Amino acid sequence: MNTDLEVILEAAAKNVFSTMLSFNVEFQKLDGSFFDGGEHVAGTVGITGAFNGMVYLYSSAPFARQMTCSLLGMKDSEIEGNEMVNDAMGELTNMMAGFIKSRLDNAGCRCVMTIPSVIRGRDFKIEPVSGVIRKTIYFQSSGGKVLVEALLKATS
Amino acid sequence: MPITILSVDDSKMVRMLVSKAFKKFDCRVLEASNGLEGMAIAAQEKPDLILLDFTMPVMDGMEMLDMLRSHDDLKTVPVVMLTAERSRDMLAEFAKKGVRDYLVKPFREQEIVERVGRIVPLVVPVA
Repeated sequence: MNTDLEVILEAAAKNVFSTMLSFNVEFQKLDGSFFDGGEHVAGTVGITGAFNGMVYLYSSAPFARQMTCSLLGMKDSEIEGNEMVNDAMGELTNMMAGFIKSRLDNAGCRCVMTIPSVIRGRDFKIEPVSGVIRKTIYFQSSGGKVLVEALLKATS
Repeated sequence: MPITILSVDDSKMVRMLVSKAFKKFDCRVLEASNGLEGMAIAAQEKPDLILLDFTMPVMDGMEMLDMLRSHDDLKTVPVVMLTAERSRDMLAEFAKKGVRDYLVKPFREQEIVERVGRIVPLVVPVA
């Protein structure tokens, strides 16, 4: 499952970023902390069923804004406040989670997804409890840095 | 006369993407954030096509589809499902319920325009 999950995460990231944003992704090894002191945004969607857990999509706040502009074909000046950015991050995370869920479903592991939510902050850390499969992929895309993380635990 | 497309999706972002995709055509895009709202708007406006999300709160896409199919005035309205998932069971269910087409999110703008354009005429207005 560990190896498979990493492959699924990479495929989900490539699919969502190329289709919705026309961004290429370059997978890299993350050295040190993802956070650099600036504000960050994390979209999150829960998965429950044969596997329980969460999918997270992290980026810096400025890059989340850039992704929102690209998604909606809008200029930065047209993005008002955080609401649109939150909606965009939630939707991109939802699409990632949907991709993962479909792969799990097709492998006979039926799951459902929760609604997306968004976390904002300068430095935060999600820690899994024991027994959870944790997979993280890191990539650069159109000048921004993105981290995708899945925390999953089989229920049976 | 412009065609009317009803976009039913709980994601404001997806509704915005749909509206943007059809902006250049002679069509009116109406929006609803769940199946219940969608049914109310559909009954009043009689859209030419419905883009329907699968997973929504209050009333999901399959429930709305069942209601459409049992509604005298709306049972023949073509429905294109939008879904973030792609399970075999779901696709079989779509076929059984007469869904004209489906799109798996993420989708390209051009893709949604092409799929809808196969079902209803999309005309670019002459300036």
